[in-house]
Amino acid sequence: MTKVLIVDDAAFMRMMLKDILTKNGFEVVGEAVNGEDAVEKYNELNPDVVTMDITMPEMDGITAVKKIRESNPQAKIIMCSAMGQQPMVLEAIQSGAKDFIVKPFQADRVIESLSKVVGM
Amino acid sequence: MDLNDFLELFIEESKEHLQSINDQLLKLETEPENPAIVNEIFRSAHTLKGMAGSMGFEDLASLTHQMENVLDLVRNSKLSITSEMMDVIFSCVDLIERMVESIEQGGDGKEDVTDVVGQLRMIQNPSDPTNVQAGAYQESAAAVAEDIQFDQYQLSVIQEAKKLGNKLYQITIQLDKNCVMKSVRAYMVFQAAEELGEVIQSNPPVEQIEEENFDDSFSILLLSERDTKEIQAAFHPISELSEVVVRELSDEQETAMPIEKAQKAVKSNAQVLPKDKGDQGAAKKKHRSKSIRVDIEKLDHLMNLFSELIIDRGRLEQISRKSELTDLTETVEHMTRISTDLQGLILNMRMVQVEQVFNRFPRMVRDLAKELNKKVQLIVEGEDTELDRTVIDEIGDPLVHLLRNALDHGLESAEERTAAGKSEEGRILLKAYHSGNQVFIEVSDDGKGIDRGKVLNKAIERGVVTQSEAETLSDREVYSLILSSGFSTAEKISDISGRGVGLDVVKTKIESLGGSISIESEPGNGSIFRIQLPLTLSIIYAMLVKTGDETYAIPFSSIVEITKISKDQVSTLYGQKVIQFREQVVSLVSLKEVFNVPATDTVEKQELFVVIVRKGDKIMGLVVDSVLGQQEVVLKTLGGMLTNLYAVSGATILGNGEVALIIDSNQFFK
Repeated sequence: MTKVLIVDDAAFMRMMLKDILTKNGFEVVGEAVNGEDAVEKYNELNPDVVTMDITMPEMDGITAVKKIRESNPQAKIIMCSAMGQQPMVLEAIQSGAKDFIVKPFQADRVIESLSKVVGM
Repeated sequence: MDLNDFLELFIEESKEHLQSINDQLLKLETEPENPAIVNEIFRSAHTLKGMAGSMGFEDLASLTHQMENVLDLVRNSKLSITSEMMDVIFSCVDLIERMVESIEQGGDGKEDVTDVVGQLRMIQNPSDPTNVQAGAYQESAAAVAEDIQFDQYQLSVIQEAKKLGNKLYQITIQLDKNCVMKSVRAYMVFQAAEELGEVIQSNPPVEQIEEENFDDSFSILLLSERDTKEIQAAFHPISELSEVVVRELSDEQETAMPIEKAQKAVKSNAQVLPKDKGDQGAAKKKHRSKSIRVDIEKLDHLMNLFSELIIDRGRLEQISRKSELTDLTETVEHMTRISTDLQGLILNMRMVQVEQVFNRFPRMVRDLAKELNKKVQLIVEGEDTELDRTVIDEIGDPLVHLLRNALDHGLESAEERTAAGKSEEGRILLKAYHSGNQVFIEVSDDGKGIDRGKVLNKAIERGVVTQSEAETLSDREVYSLILSSGFSTAEKISDISGRGVGLDVVKTKIESLGGSISIESEPGNGSIFRIQLPLTLSIIYAMLVKTGDETYAIPFSSIVEITKISKDQVSTLYGQKVIQFREQVVSLVSLKEVFNVPATDTVEKQELFVVIVRKGDKIMGLVVDSVLGQQEVVLKTLGGMLTNLYAVSGATILGNGEVALIIDSNQFFK
């Protein structure tokens, strides 16, 4: 099963995503509540793919992408963003994020994205 | 997916974010230049938007979206904060609060947001009041042109490339119509294309694509040595592309006339868009402790089970005492120690900081002060004081009342204050602290204080007291008159408080929580309303007393002391039995008479046990047959069938299985 690390500061969002993912045969191996936490958990859990929120306290998602990719250039990260965050999503993609999904999440979109990124 | 599963969490987190927004907004008013605060608010608004969208609360999402837009402009220094803007944002937050509340109560969270959204748009773009979302671009974005034109430079590049074995492809991309961030998606397409070869042209031009000035489709010209299939495959991992058409262009098609205007941005190293300044918020770190959320009902249940356990413990203690088995006694003693710790822990779990209630007040006071045109500074102290969750839930409204009262009736207007030689800005202090087994919450102001004469006149007019009584009342007794029902001393009834249904409600509520309220006041210098509350409602320390064959529990919190008197010390005053006690005349109440306990012993005792109880600063003596000792008892309500029992607040089960009524001595004071 594909191992996923969910990063989002809102427990609500994590729960939504986890629900979507587990119902579609992904294994959520961990959840992180901010960028710092994400970097730590990535190294600890070595997931196949990460869903990364952008706006978070302590360390934002973009910085986290950069940090993770520094030590794990093969890391597959999907940005979770809301509307109106184009510049940030763009920066994240330039920093090595593989794809992005936009809130409100649509289950099939999330699954499409994860499947494509994992299959890369 | 059943969204209801997430509803609770959604509401909880929304409230947290709303609170944070409120707090930060208030801070922002004092330091409008601080970008960290704006960032914090932005982040909360942003998260709210995301959550609302996911739950399908469209109104909430669109409102937070507009709010976020305004905040974004502010944090990017494109807008500066004005007082009007703050007002709009505040009203926006109010609206969001209402929506969340409506959702919590099972509603759909729909509110009329058009007004506020309009105002928010005005702030973003004041020059364009109609604010038609610039839809013009959709026309300007030309449908993908069939004819391809090159300038001289491009032609030479193509010739060069062809010599090296490259082919020229036209790739037409159709984006999914639900695609939200078309420019970023397009960027990903460009990124993928760059890895295959060289992008020499795009239609519409790169700048337009970056600005999202295009419909759902665009095309690029790519020079690459790969074949059509490989190119097609390279775009596969990119999501939200509904169609990718790769077409190899033959020589004839290239030779169209070069166009005059050279399009310089052929190389599509799409410029990096402005970076956001999101990192600034990192300066202010928030400590987050690890925690889980537990339904309060579960805690209640735990508490109930535990109280059953305490009853059993009491029984075991009794059995072990009787049996005189050392092993059993030791085990029971150990169990007692453990269960005491456990009880402390469970009680602690139910404790919540009053901050939860207090933190909505700064905002309320601000709004109210604006409305009343008064200047006021609210000082909050001891917000980390902890109280039982049930008390916390109930204490909010009474405090709102008291604060409103302080603002409206207590504090003078700025002019009056200056005239009285005080600083223009009034001061309201909201303070919580522990003392013994009680929690005190004080609302004090430095206003004009309570006018004894006015209160008395009103009380006499309303028939609350008589003229002759009025003269003998102490100041404190006079002040407490304003807590009686049907009382309002403000000459003018204002919107804020003083509809005559104010403070008596507060008093009733506090008393129903097992607490009390007292007032101190100094004319010209302000007043203090002091609420006294028990730490917890479910387990109390009580003194067990016996009357006849029945056992009663008197809560420790109301006992002053216990004394033994001889019968001849009792005298009668106005038909009421009284004793002289520490130079005070204390009236006596016999529990036997109050509860109609059948007499057991025929011989009348020469000595009486008197439990002195108090309410406020009044005391009274309860006559009982004997005192059994103190014990922790679990307060159980008597259930809905037995309400309004005189002087009984509940019952408890003792160790021997006997049921004892818990006495509410407050009711003996008239």
